[in-house]
Amino acid sequence: MKQYAKIIWALWIILALVGGYGLIERLVTGHQLATYSSYVPWGMWVAAYIFFVGLSSGSFLLASLYYVFKITRLERIARLSLFTAGVTIIMALVTVGLDLGRMEKAVSVFYRPHFTSLITWEVWLYTAYLILVIMALKYAVRKKLKKLDPQVTKDDDQRLKRLMTYGIPLVIAFTGAGGALFGTISARAAWHTSLYPVIFIVGALLSGVALMTFMAWAFCDNHDESWHELLQFLGKLVLGLICIELILEWAEFSIPLWYGVGSEAELVKFVLFGPFWYVFWLVRILLGAVLPLYLLMGKKDAKSIGIASFLVAVTYFAVRLNLVIPAQVTPELRGLEHAYLDPIGNHLSFHYLPSFFEWQVLMGVVALGMALFYFGQRYLSLMQTLNNREVSR
Amino acid sequence: MKISRRTLIKGGVMAGAGALLGSEGTRLMAAINQSEQDDPAHAAYALCQPENILYSACLQCNTQCTVKAKIQNGLLVKIDGNPYSPMNMQPQVSYDLSPQAVAKVDGHLCPKGQSGVQTIYDPYRIRMVLKRSGPRGSSKWKAIPFDQAIKEIAEGGKLFAEIGEDRQVPGFKEVFALRDADLAKTMGDDAAAIRGGKMTVDEFKEKHKDHLDVLIDPNHPDLGPKNNQFIFQGGRIGPDREMFAKRFTFAGLGSVNWYAHTTICEQAHHVAFLWSTAQWEVKDGKGGWNKGANHMKPDYTQAEFVIFWGTGYTEANFGPTPMGPQVSQAIVDGKLKIAVVDPRLSKTAAKGWWIPVRPGGDLALAFGMLRWTIENKRYDEAFLRNANKGAAKAGGEKSWSNSTWLVNAENGKLLRAKDLGIGDENQFVVLVAGQPVPVTPDDEKSAVVGDLDAGTSLGGLKVKTGFQALKESVFVHDMAYYAEKSGVDQKSIEDLAREFTAHGKKAAIDFYRGPIKVTYGYYAAQAIIALNLLIGNIDHTGGFAPGGGAWDAMGGKPGKPFEIGKMHPGALKPFGVKLTRESSGPYESSTIFTRDGYPAKRPWFPFTDDVYQEIIPAAYAGYPYPIKILWLHYGTPALSSPAGHLQIKMLQDTSRLPLFISTDIVLGETSMFADYVFPDIAYLERWGNPLGTSPVTLTKTTKIRQPVVAPIPEIVSVEGEEMPISMDAVMIAVAQKIKAPGYGKDGLGAGYDFKRPEQFYLKMVANVAWGEKEGEAVAAASAQDMALFVKARRHLPKGVFDLAKWQAAVGNEWSRVVTVLNHGGRFEAADKAHDGAFLGHPWGKQMNLYVEPIGSAKHSVTGKPLSGVPVFQEMASFDGKPALFPAEYDLDLFTYKEIWGGQSRTSGNYAGQMALMPENYVYLNALDARRLGLADYDLVRLVSPSFTGAFELAPGVSIAVEGKVKVIQGIRPGAVAVSWSYGHWAYGAKDVTVNGQVIKGEAARARGLVPNPAMGVDGYLKDVCLTDPIAGDAAYSGTRIKLVKSKSGAAERGALPKSA
Amino acid sequence: MNKDRPDRTPESEERRAVLGKMASATFAGLMLSGVLARAQDAAPQKTPIPARPFKGSSDANQDVLIRMQGELERAMQKPINERRWGMVIDMRKCTGCASCTVGCVMENKLPPGVVYRPVIDEEKGTYPNVTRTFLPRPCMQCETPACTPVCPVGATWKGADGIVVIDYDVCIGCRYCITACPYQARTFDFGQHWTDNAAKGEDGALALKSARAYQDPPNFEYGKEWKRREGIIPKSPVGNTRKCTFCAHRLKVGMLPMCVSTCVGRATFFGDLNDPKALVSELAGMANATQLKPEAGTHPNVYYLV
Ligand SMILES: Nc1nc2c(c(=O)[nH]1)N[C@H]1C(S)=C(S)[C@@H](COP(=O)(O)OP(=O)(O)OC[C@H]3O[C@@H](n4cnc5c(=O)[nH]c(N)nc54)[C@H](O)[C@@H]3O)O[C@H]1N2
Ligand SMILES: Nc1nc2c(c(=O)[nH]1)N[C@H]1C(S)=C(S)[C@@H](COP(=O)(O)OP(=O)(O)OC[C@H]3O[C@@H](n4cnc5c(=O)[nH]c(N)nc54)[C@H](O)[C@@H]3O)O[C@H]1N2
Ligand code: SF4
Ligand code: SF4
Ligand code: SF4
Ligand code: SF4
Ligand code: SF4
Ligand SMILES: [Mo]
Repeated sequence: MKQYAKIIWALWIILALVGGYGLIERLVTGHQLATYSSYVPWGMWVAAYIFFVGLSSGSFLLASLYYVFKITRLERIARLSLFTAGVTIIMALVTVGLDLGRMEKAVSVFYRPHFTSLITWEVWLYTAYLILVIMALKYAVRKKLKKLDPQVTKDDDQRLKRLMTYGIPLVIAFTGAGGALFGTISARAAWHTSLYPVIFIVGALLSGVALMTFMAWAFCDNHDESWHELLQFLGKLVLGLICIELILEWAEFSIPLWYGVGSEAELVKFVLFGPFWYVFWLVRILLGAVLPLYLLMGKKDAKSIGIASFLVAVTYFAVRLNLVIPAQVTPELRGLEHAYLDPIGNHLSFHYLPSFFEWQVLMGVVALGMALFYFGQRYLSLMQTLNNREVSR
Repeated sequence: MKISRRTLIKGGVMAGAGALLGSEGTRLMAAINQSEQDDPAHAAYALCQPENILYSACLQCNTQCTVKAKIQNGLLVKIDGNPYSPMNMQPQVSYDLSPQAVAKVDGHLCPKGQSGVQTIYDPYRIRMVLKRSGPRGSSKWKAIPFDQAIKEIAEGGKLFAEIGEDRQVPGFKEVFALRDADLAKTMGDDAAAIRGGKMTVDEFKEKHKDHLDVLIDPNHPDLGPKNNQFIFQGGRIGPDREMFAKRFTFAGLGSVNWYAHTTICEQAHHVAFLWSTAQWEVKDGKGGWNKGANHMKPDYTQAEFVIFWGTGYTEANFGPTPMGPQVSQAIVDGKLKIAVVDPRLSKTAAKGWWIPVRPGGDLALAFGMLRWTIENKRYDEAFLRNANKGAAKAGGEKSWSNSTWLVNAENGKLLRAKDLGIGDENQFVVLVAGQPVPVTPDDEKSAVVGDLDAGTSLGGLKVKTGFQALKESVFVHDMAYYAEKSGVDQKSIEDLAREFTAHGKKAAIDFYRGPIKVTYGYYAAQAIIALNLLIGNIDHTGGFAPGGGAWDAMGGKPGKPFEIGKMHPGALKPFGVKLTRESSGPYESSTIFTRDGYPAKRPWFPFTDDVYQEIIPAAYAGYPYPIKILWLHYGTPALSSPAGHLQIKMLQDTSRLPLFISTDIVLGETSMFADYVFPDIAYLERWGNPLGTSPVTLTKTTKIRQPVVAPIPEIVSVEGEEMPISMDAVMIAVAQKIKAPGYGKDGLGAGYDFKRPEQFYLKMVANVAWGEKEGEAVAAASAQDMALFVKARRHLPKGVFDLAKWQAAVGNEWSRVVTVLNHGGRFEAADKAHDGAFLGHPWGKQMNLYVEPIGSAKHSVTGKPLSGVPVFQEMASFDGKPALFPAEYDLDLFTYKEIWGGQSRTSGNYAGQMALMPENYVYLNALDARRLGLADYDLVRLVSPSFTGAFELAPGVSIAVEGKVKVIQGIRPGAVAVSWSYGHWAYGAKDVTVNGQVIKGEAARARGLVPNPAMGVDGYLKDVCLTDPIAGDAAYSGTRIKLVKSKSGAAERGALPKSA
Repeated sequence: MNKDRPDRTPESEERRAVLGKMASATFAGLMLSGVLARAQDAAPQKTPIPARPFKGSSDANQDVLIRMQGELERAMQKPINERRWGMVIDMRKCTGCASCTVGCVMENKLPPGVVYRPVIDEEKGTYPNVTRTFLPRPCMQCETPACTPVCPVGATWKGADGIVVIDYDVCIGCRYCITACPYQARTFDFGQHWTDNAAKGEDGALALKSARAYQDPPNFEYGKEWKRREGIIPKSPVGNTRKCTFCAHRLKVGMLPMCVSTCVGRATFFGDLNDPKALVSELAGMANATQLKPEAGTHPNVYYLV
C-alpha cells in the first residue's frame, strides 16, 4: 500500500482537478456538454450509477457474510467492505443526482413520491440503505476508535448483526429493483427481460466481491497466512460468480440471437458486432472474463487473484454500459434518426459516445470516492483491520 | 362595469366563435368560463390577440404567400397563414369579417414560411454600411456612416486610397450623363431609327453633335448613353420591389440595365408561355405581337389527370402552401390522378405514377407523346381548328389557336392575307377545305374554322399550317428514338400519352424548372404547352388556367387614384442595347452586327430578358460595352448560377468592374466581393409592390407586403427623413444627391413628395383598394379597425410607422388603404373560381401553336434560322456544337429544391432548414453505387469536363464541391441528384473582419455542397454556363459528371460534429 | 376529340385492386418497421389512393379547419372530463412537408434538441417500384400511457381530457419517461438556444445581439408563461422533459393545435373523440384507420389513415 501512496496521491490530484472542473461545468452549463441526447437519454452516468450501486450491494453482502453469517475468514475485510458499500452508494447517488435535469428538485421524490415508479422505490430504498450503512458503520467502527464499555460493545455487535440482517433483503430488493427499473420498460426490447433482477443481483455480488478482493490484495501490507486464506476464499467466490454470471449472460444473449430475427436480435448483434464490438469482446469477455478465469483457475496465487479481481471489478463497468446504452441506440420508429436533428448540440442523435465532459464528471465522482476512502482509512482505521493489526477486544 | 383584460380575451373568443359557428357562438361564454375553471392558472395567450397580429407576405420563396405575423414583446415570434387569403385557407374566410373576428383563425403555411422568424432575426444580419478595407473578397470591412457612403458612391473619386488603390472610382454622377428628358427621347428615337435602317450613324452624329459625349460610343449610338453603364443586377427583385427599383434605374437614372434573375430561375418556361400566348395587336393600323401570360397551371381541384413535369405540389413550384391542400384533397377524393415526370422520386412522385425520365430527356419524352397523340388522332381537332375568336365562340370555347394559320416555309413567317391579295397585313390565312381564307384573330363575328393538318403551295409559296409544321417536326424521329433519348420506354410514353388524352379537357400538364433547364429549354417548354393545346384544355374547369389575376396597382385604369407610371416629373426614357443584348432587338439590325457580322462575339437574346448569368461575364468581357457601376441586389450569381464560381475572378477585377456595390441582409457569397455593402431590410421589415399570385390560385388575389417588425438595420436620416438603411433608402438618397428626376420634393408630382418609401408603395395599395372601376372599392375601415391598425403597430419605430406620414401619402384614400392593410391584401370570394364548365377567369384569347417572331428569326452566333415550333435538339454550345462528355463522365447531374430550402437564403434557418436536414447529399441509385463501389456517407467530389472538383475563393482558399453519398432506390440509375440551398462559403459561414475585429463564422452554415460549379460551361464563350440561345436560360441539367471519392467520411456515419 | 373513348380499362381496375392492397401492406410494414411486402407485378400506373370520400372532407363552402375549429369550440363547452381529444393523420394526404414539425417548434418556442412532431420519411421498394411514406409523429396521448407510471415524482399524468401533460415545475429531469415511451415522443430540454453557435457579441455592424432576442419571450405551453434561463438553477422547462401538449394553450382559447392548422396537406384532423358528430370521430372510425404500434398496448388517441 505505502509504496503506491505517491502514485495514488498524484492520481487523485489529477482526478480532482479535471473532475472538479467538470463538476463546475456541469453546474454552469447543465447538460449541454454531454453527448447523451433526447433519444439516448441515459448515458454513461446512468451506467456508472448502476455500476456503483452494484459495487455497493456486492460489498455489503460480502460484509454481511461476516457480520451475519459469521464467516470469520472474512473478518479482515468486513469493515472495509461495509465502508466501501457506504462510499460507493454515495458515489452512485451523486452520479445519478448530477444526471438529473433538475438536481435541486430531487428531494421532491420524498415529499411527493409516486410509487408506481421504480425510481421512487429505488430512491427510498437507497436512502434507507444509506442510513442503515451509516449506522452499521458506526457500530462496526466505534469500538475501534474509543474505548467502550464492553456491554456497549456487545450491544453494538448485536445491533450491527441485526442491522446487517435487515440489510440483506434491503440490498436484494434495491438491487433487484435496479434490474426491474430497466426490465419493466417494455418500450425497450433489450431491457424488457425478466432476467434482469437476477442478473443485477449476481452482477452486484460479482463486481462488489471482486472489488473487495482487489482491495484486500492491494491495500494489505500484512501478507500473513490468514490473508492468503482470505484471498483464496475470495478468489473462489469471484470465480464462482463469474461462472454464474456467464451462464446468465449466455441466456440473455443466446435467446434473442438463436433465430436471429426480431428487434432484440438486432440489438444483441449491435452489442456483439456493432461499432462498439470491442467493448463486449475485448473489455467484457477478454479482460472481464477470459483473463480473470485464466488467472483464477491457473496459478491461484495472491497476485493473480488480485489482478483478476481488479479486472472483473473495473470491466464490470463495460457490462453496465452495454446494458444501458445499446438498448437506446436504435430508433423505436425507423427513420426517426433523420426526421429532425439538433444542429446546435446534436442532442437528437442515436449515436452515443460519452463526451470528455462526461468522463470529467465521472472522474470528479471517483475523486470524491477516493477522498472518502482516504478519510475512512485515516479516521476510521479501516486499514488496520485489513492489516490484521487490530487487537481483538 | 370594469372590463378586465380577461373579459376582453373572452370577448375575442366570442367574436371568433360567433363568426365560425353562427348561432352556436352565443353559447360560448359559458364554455370559456368552464375552460378557465379547468386551470385557474390560465394565462393570456398573447398570440391570439388581434393587436399582436399583422398581415404581410412571405418571401422565403417566390410563392410570396400571404402571412399572419404574430408579435410578442415587440418581436416577431410566429408566422402563420392569413385566413382571408386563398393561399392559406381553402376556401378562405369572408373578407367582410373583421380582423378581431378572425384573430383566432390561423391558416396554414409551409415550413420555410414559418422559419422566416430566423431569417429576420439572423445574428449575421448587417446593420451598418460596410466598406471594404482590403482587396475585394478579403472579407475585411469597415463600418462607415450612411451619409458618407452615399456621398462616396454618388461622387466617386479615389475612394480606396486608404488601402493603397490609386484608381479613380466612378460615382453615380459620372454615369448620370444624359439628364435631359427631351434629349433622351429624341436620341432614343434616332437610335431606333438607326436600328430600323431609317437613319445612318453619321446622320445621328451630325444631328446630336453637341451631345455625343453622353453616349457610350458615338460610333454606336444604338448602344445608348453612358447612363447604361450603371447596371442594376437584381436577384429576387421581382415582383417584390420591382417597381421601386425600375423607377430608379429607368426613368430615374436613364439606364436600360435593370435585371431580375429569371434565366437562372425558369425563364424558358416563361418565355415559351409569353410567346405562346402573344396576341397580334393592331394600333393605328400597325400590328405587332404583344407577349401574353407568363404561365398557366392546371385546375387541380377539378382535373382528372395532371402531369407534374419536372415539378410538383409538395416541394417547390408555386408553393406547397397554395397547392398542398387542393391537390392532396383532390387525390384522396379520388377525383384526381397524377403522374410525375422526374428523374427522382420526389415527394410528389410518391403520391402518383412516377416516370423516371433521364435528366434532360424531357424534349424527347414530349416529342414521343406529341407523336403518339398526333399519330393516333387523340387531339381535340375541333378546338384546334378554331382559327379566331368567332370560331371559338361558335364552337363553345373561350380561346382559340393559330394551329391552322399558314406558315411560309421559306422564312418562317405566318402568311398575311395581303401576301395573297385576299386581305390586309393584319390578317392571316388559313385553308378552309383547301381554299385560302383570311382570318382576323379577334374578330368575334365571323367564325373561321381552318383545315388543321394541311399544307399546299400558294402562288409558288410553299405553305403549311402550324399544326403540320409541328407534326413534321415531331415525326423527324420515331418512337424508339424518343424512348432511347428520354430514357422512358416506349410503352410508358404511350401509356402516358394515352392517359393524358383520355380525360377530355379535364387533364393538364404542370411544368416548371425540371424539363427546361437545358440548352433546348425553350423548345421543351413549347412542346409541353403544345401538348396542353392539343387537348384543348385552356379555360375549362379541370383544364389549364391562367389564374385569377390581381387588382391593378399601378393605376393605369381610368378613375384610379394614382397613375404611378405617370407620376414622374422629368422622367428619362432610357434607350440602347442592354448589357446582355436581351430584349434589344435582333442582332442583325445593330451597328455591332455591321461591325462584327456572324458569329456575334457573344449571343444576342431578342426574345427574352433577365439573362442573369451573363451580366458579370459580359461586363468583364466589355461586350457590347464596358460598364462603370454594378449594383448587386438580393442575389448571389456566383453561388446560384451554374458555373457561377467563374465569376469570382471577374468580380475581383477593379478595372472592368470599377464600382461594385451591393444591398444585402448578410454578407453573401457574391456581395462579399463588393466595394460597399448596404444593409437591406428583410422581407417582413419593409414594403413590396402589391403582388399578384400564380395561376395556382383561380380567384383574383392581391397580396400586400408591409413592414410588420422593427428593422434590424440602423435607422438613419435621409435628407431629413428617418428610415432604416435599405435598398429603398439608398435609391432615395442617391437620387436626391445627384438630382435624378422623380425624387425629393414633389418627386411624385405636384404635392406628392418622394422622400420616403411608403409614399410610393401606399399609393399602389390605394389603387388596389379602389379596384378596377368605380364602385368596386373596399369598405372604409371602421373606427375600431383604425384603432386596431395603430395599436398593432405600436412596436414599430417612427422611422417606419408614422401615422401622419402614412396617411398623407394617400390622402383621402386612407381609410380604404387601412382596410386592405388590415387584411394583408385584397381577395376575391372563392366561389368566383369557376363558372360552370369554364374557369371564372379564363384566358379567352389566342394561343399560338406556332410562334412567328421566333420562327422567323436567326441565331445570332450561328446565323441559322430558329423555329416557330419545337424542334428536337440535344445539349449544345452557342456555336451550335454539341456539348460532349467523354465516357468517364458517366452520370447525369441534376438538381432540385427541398421544401425547407428557400433558394440560398434559408441557410440561417436553424429550426427549419438546418434541423430538418443539416446538410445535403449526393443521391445515387443503389445500382450505380454498387458499380462505383460507393456506400452511404462516402465523401465524393463532383468532377465534370469543365470542373476539377474544387475552385479558388481567394488566394489559398479552396472550396471543394464535395458531399456525402446517400444510396437510394428512388432515383433513376445513371443520374445524380444534389439539392440546392447548401454549400455556403459566406452568409455567416465564414469569418469576417469588421473594424479590425474578427467575427466568427458558423461552421454549420457551410455544410453540404452546391452542385452548380460542376455544371457545364459553354464551349464558345468558355466563361459562362451552357445556355439556351432563345430563352437565355441557364442549363442546370444536361451535364455529365463523375464522382471522385475524396476520403472516407464513414467514421462520421452521418453524425453531427459536436460543435458544428 | 374522340368523346366516347373509354378511359377506364379492365387492367386499370385490376391495377387499382393490387395497389389498394399495396397501400395497406405499406402501413402494416411500417408499423412493424419491417420491409415492405410489395406486389410483385407492380404496374407502372401508381395511384395507390382509392377513392374513399368522407363527409366533410371537401365541402366546398368551408375549409375543414373551420369546421374543426367550430367543433372544438363546441367541445370546450363541455366539462373537461367529457372531452377526449384525438387526432387523425391521413398518410395519403401527408406530403412530408414538415410544416407541422416546424410549426410546432416555432409555436412552442422549442429549443434545439426538443421536438414534438418529427415527420419520418421512409423509402420503400426497389427501383423502379419505389414509394415514400411520410409519418408525422406527435405524442399519441395514449389511453394507457407507458410514460406516466414511471415518473418518480408524479410530474406527468393523463389529464381528464386525455392530454398527457408534464408539470415542468415538478419534473426533476430524470428522463425515465423518455425511455418508457414506445414512440420516442418525449425529448429533453438541454437549455440550448438556436443561436448558440453563432458569433457572439454586442450589436455593431452585425446584429449579433438584437437578432437573438426573439428567443427570450416566454412560451405559452399549458396556458402559462414559461421564461427560459439556464445556469446553476435552471428555470423550467430547461432541464425538463418535454412533449407534445396537443397545444393545450391553444385549445383553451378555442384554437386548433398548431400542427393541425398549419398542415399543408390538410392531413391532420383534430377534435373530441367523444363527439360522434366531430370529424375526427368519423375519421377515426373508418376502415382504414389504424394506430401506431398497437402491440405496445398504449392505445393511442392518434389514428392514422392509410
Ligand atoms: N421549397 C422551395 N420552393 C420554391 C423555391 C425555393 O427556393 N424553395 N423557389 C421558388 C422559385 S424561385 C422557383 S423558380 C420554383 C421552382 O420550382 P420547381 O421547378 O418545381 O423546382 P425545382 O426543384 O427547381 O425543380 C423541380 C423538379 O425538377 C426535377 N428535375 C431536375 N432535372 C430534371 C430534368 O432534367 N427533367 C425533369 N423532368 N425533371 C427534372 C427535380 O428533381 C425537381 O423535382 O420554386 C419556387 N418555390
Ligand atoms: N443548384 C441549384 N441552383 C439553383 C436553383 C436550384 O434549384 N438548384 N434554383 C435557381 C432558382 S429557381 C433561382 S430563382 C435562383 C435564385 O438565386 P439568386 O437570385 O442569386 O439568389 P437567392 O438565393 O434568392 O438570394 C441571394 C442572396 O440575396 C441576399 N438576400 C437575402 N435576403 C435578402 C433581402 O431581403 N434583401 C437583400 N437585399 N438581399 C437579400 C442573400 O445574400 C442571399 O444569399 O437560384 C437558382 N439556383
Ligand atoms: S411556399 Fe412557403 S416559403 Fe414560399 S412563400 Fe409560401 S409560405 Fe413562404
Ligand atoms: S406517446 Fe409516449 S409520451 Fe405520449 S402518451 Fe404515449 S407513451 Fe406517453
Ligand atoms: S423526466 Fe420528469 S416527467 Fe419524466 S419521469 Fe422524470 S420527473 Fe417524471
Ligand atoms: S399538437 Fe401542438 S404540441 Fe402537439 S405536435 Fe401538434 S403543434 Fe406540437
Ligand atoms: S404538415 Fe401535414 S402534410 Fe406536412 S408533414 Fe405535417 S402532416 Fe404531413
Ligand atoms: Mo426561381
